[in-house]
Amino acid sequence: MSSAQLPANLSEETVREISERRDEPEWLLESRLDALSALDTLDLPDVIQTPGRRWTNLEALDFESLVDPLDQADETERTADEGVEVLTFTEALDSHPDLVESAFGSTIEPRENYLTALSAALFTTGTVVYVPEGVDAEDVTIRAEMNSRSLFSHTLVITEESSSVTILESIESDAGVDADARYFSNLVEIAAGENSYVQYGSLQNLDEDTYNYTLKRADVDTYATVNWIEGNLGSRLTRSDVESELNGDSAETKIVGAFFGHEEQHFDVNARVWHQAENTTADLVTRGVLDDAARSVYEGVQDVGRDAWNTSSYQRENTLMLSDESEADASPKLIIHNHDTEASHSATVGQVDQEDLFYMTSRAIQPEKARNMLVEGFFVPVLDEIEVDEFREDLESLIDERLR
Amino acid sequence: MSSEQDHLKDTDTEARFDFKKEESSAFETEKGLTEETVRVISEDKGEPEWMLNRRLRALKQFQEMPMPTDWPGQPDLSEVDVAEIVPYIRPDVDVRAGVDDWTELPDEIKDTFDKLGIPEAEKNALSGVGAQYESEVVYQNMQERWEEKGVIFCNMDEAVREHEEIVKEHFMTKCVPPSDNKFAALHGAVWSGGSFVYVPEDVTVEMPVQAYFRMNSEGMGQFEHTLIVAEEGSEVHYIEGCSAPKYSAFNLHSGGVEVFVGEDAHVQYSTVQNWSKNTYNLNTKRALVEAGGRMEWISGSMGSKATMLYPSSVLKGPGASDNHITIAFAGEGQNIDTGAKVYHNAPNTKSTIESKSISKDGGRTNYRGLVHIADGAENSSTAVECDALMFDNESTSDTMPYMEINESKVDVAHEATVGKIGDEDIFYLQSRGLDDDDAKQMIVSGFIEPITEELPIEYAVELNRLVELEMEGSLG
Repeated sequence: MSSAQLPANLSEETVREISERRDEPEWLLESRLDALSALDTLDLPDVIQTPGRRWTNLEALDFESLVDPLDQADETERTADEGVEVLTFTEALDSHPDLVESAFGSTIEPRENYLTALSAALFTTGTVVYVPEGVDAEDVTIRAEMNSRSLFSHTLVITEESSSVTILESIESDAGVDADARYFSNLVEIAAGENSYVQYGSLQNLDEDTYNYTLKRADVDTYATVNWIEGNLGSRLTRSDVESELNGDSAETKIVGAFFGHEEQHFDVNARVWHQAENTTADLVTRGVLDDAARSVYEGVQDVGRDAWNTSSYQRENTLMLSDESEADASPKLIIHNHDTEASHSATVGQVDQEDLFYMTSRAIQPEKARNMLVEGFFVPVLDEIEVDEFREDLESLIDERLR
Repeated sequence: MSSEQDHLKDTDTEARFDFKKEESSAFETEKGLTEETVRVISEDKGEPEWMLNRRLRALKQFQEMPMPTDWPGQPDLSEVDVAEIVPYIRPDVDVRAGVDDWTELPDEIKDTFDKLGIPEAEKNALSGVGAQYESEVVYQNMQERWEEKGVIFCNMDEAVREHEEIVKEHFMTKCVPPSDNKFAALHGAVWSGGSFVYVPEDVTVEMPVQAYFRMNSEGMGQFEHTLIVAEEGSEVHYIEGCSAPKYSAFNLHSGGVEVFVGEDAHVQYSTVQNWSKNTYNLNTKRALVEAGGRMEWISGSMGSKATMLYPSSVLKGPGASDNHITIAFAGEGQNIDTGAKVYHNAPNTKSTIESKSISKDGGRTNYRGLVHIADGAENSSTAVECDALMFDNESTSDTMPYMEINESKVDVAHEATVGKIGDEDIFYLQSRGLDDDDAKQMIVSGFIEPITEELPIEYAVELNRLVELEMEGSLG
C-alpha cells in the first residue's frame, strides 16, 4: 500500500498558521508538526482485499482538490447538562490545559495512518466533553454544520469515576458551499473512567459530494460501559471505524450501526472490539439497507486477548438489498486467544422478505408502502438502542425521507 | 465394525504414519529451481513439447510473483525457501511400465504402503487405488468392471501420454492456471505424479477411487497433480490420503487439484491429510461446476506445520451446487489456515460450508472463506457455519469470512461460534465413570461427527484415530 499524495497547499507554514490563529500551546503545535512530517511515510488505513479486488478505493481520494487547510469553517451548537462541561476544543485548552494535553492522542495515536495524521495536523474544530466524578449528564448535543470545502475535527470525551453521559453528535453540510467534492474528517477519543457510562451517538448526513473519514475509539476502564451508535446516511464515500478497547475487568461495550445507502453512495463501516481484561462483554449490531447502485463494506472484529478470561462477545450484521445494482460486502472476524470465551457472530444479506410483502399486499397495503414499512421495521433493533429520543426521531425521519 | 476393517482399527497409527525408510532414489534433481531443473524433469518423463512449454511458462510466473505475506494473520512462510527444496525424486522402480500388481513392487515401498493399509483398503472397499511415493505414482489399479465402461483412473504422467487430448484441454488451463497464486505457479513448473480420473457420460462409479501420497525423503517437495473430469450425468467419489514422516528440515507440499463437474454430474472429493509437523502444505484445489452439477469437498486437515488451503468451487451453470465440510485440528506449533471459496456465477446456485476447528497446546486454526455472488446469480443461496473448539489460552482460533454480494435476490447467511469444552459436559461424562482425557476425547469425537459420517468407514476410523492420537499428544 502506498501513501497518499500530499495536498499541494499543505506545508509547515500552513500548520503553524492554524496553530497560531488559535493561540495554541507549544505541545499541540509540536503534535501537529509531528503528524505533518509523518505524512510522507504513512499508509492509508487498511482496506479489505479479496482475490482480484479492493473493497474500498481510498487511493482515489484526490486531496489536492478536496483539502483547503486554511479555509475551514463550521457552525456548531453545543448544549450541556448541569455539572458537565461541554467546550470547544480551544476553550478547553484554556480552562483545562492539563486534562486536554493528557487525553489528546492517548486513545488514537495521531500517526496511526495517513488520514489520522492529516486530521491531527489540520483540525480546527472539535469538542471536549468533561464529566467530573459522580455527575450524571443525560443530554449533551453537538450539532455541527460544515461550511467549507474541507473540515477537520477532533473530539475528546473524558468521564471520571462513576459518572455518566449521553451524547448526540450530528454533522450536516451547508448547502451554500460551492465545491464539486468535499472532505470531512472526525477523530473521537473516549476515555471512560472506572464505573462510568457513556452513550455516544453520531448521525452523519453530509451532502453526497462529501468524502468522509471518521475514527472513533474508546478506552474502557474497569466496570465502565461505552455504547456507540453510528448512523450513516449522507456522503459520497464514508469510511467509518468505531472501536472499543475493553482494558479494565468487567468493562462492557455495544457498537450499534445503521446505514442506508442509495444512488452511488459507498459506506465502508467497521466495528471492532478488543477484549483485554477479565469478564468483559461486547455486543456488535449493524443493520444496513442498500438501494440503487450503493455499496456497503463491513468489517466486524472481535479480538479476545490471551488474558481475557470469561469473555462474552457477540456480533450480528444484516444487510437488506433493495436493488440488483447494489453490492454488500461483509467480513465479520473472530480472533480468539483465550478458550474461556463465549463468542459468536452472524451475518446475513438478503432482500425484503417476499412472504411478508405478500402478506401485507394481500391486506390491501400498496406494494410500495408495504416495502417501506418493512424497511423501517428492519431498523427497529437499532432504533431501540438509542436512549436520546431526539436522536431516534432524527434517524427515523431521515430513513423515512430516503424512502420517499 | 466388521473384521475386514480391523487392520485400520488395530494398527498403531503412530507407527503407521511416522516411520521412515532409507532413501533410495534412482534419480533426483539438484536442490533449487532453475529452467534446467524443469527441463530435466520434463525430459526424464518423456513429455511432449506442449507440456514442457507450460512448465516453463509457469516457472516464469513463479519467479515473477511475490510470496504471499500480507494476508491478515496468515501463517509465516519465511522458512519456505524453494532454493532448499529438491523438487523431484524418482524412486528406484521402473514405473514407466506401469505396476498394477502389488507383489511386483520393491519390498521397501510395498512395506510402506502395507503399513498404511493401502492394499487392504483396496480389497475391502475401493474401486481403484493409486499410490504415490515421493514424486512418482508407484502403484495403480482399477477394477475391470469400471474400466469396461470407459472409466479411466491412472497416474498423471501416464495420462499425458495416453490421454493427451483430454489432458491438454484441461491441464492448468481454465480451472487452476499457474497465474492463480505463487504456489500454483511453482506446481505448474515442477508437478510430478498424481491422479487422472475420467468418468464418461452417465457412468456412476459406485465405490470410491483412492490415491495415497507419501513423502519419505528429507527436504523434498511434493507436487502431485490431480485432474478429475466427470462428464455429464456421471458420478464419482475420489479420496486422497497424505502423510510424511518428520524430519528436521522442512518439507513442502504444493499439489494441484482440478475438478471438472459436467452438467448434472456429481463429484465428491475427500481428503484426510496428516503431513508431518515440519511440512508446509500449500495446495490449490478448485472445481468448475456446470449446470445442475454438484461438488462436495470433504477435508480433514490434521498434520503439517502450516497449511494454507482453501478448496474452491466455481458454480458456472444454473442450479449448480457445492458442499464444503472441513475439519482442522492444530496442536503445538501448528498453524492451520484453511477454509473454502465459492463463486456463485449463475442463477439458482446453492452452497453450504460447514467448518469445524479444534486448537490445543498453542495450536492455531483459522477459517478463511470467500463467498462471492455475482450480479445476475439470482435466487442463489449460501449458508456458512463455523464452529471452533479451544482447549487453552495458549491456542488461537480465528474466523475470517469474506462475503461479496452483488445480487439482491439472494439468501446469504454466515454464522460462527467459538467456545471451550463445556465443563458441564465433562462433569457429566466423568460422573459416568470416564476419566478427564476420555471425556474430552469423546466430546471432540462428537464435535467432528458431521465430517466423519460423510467419509467411508476406513477413513472415518482413521480420522478418529488421528484425533485421538493428537489429543494424547503422541503424534508427530
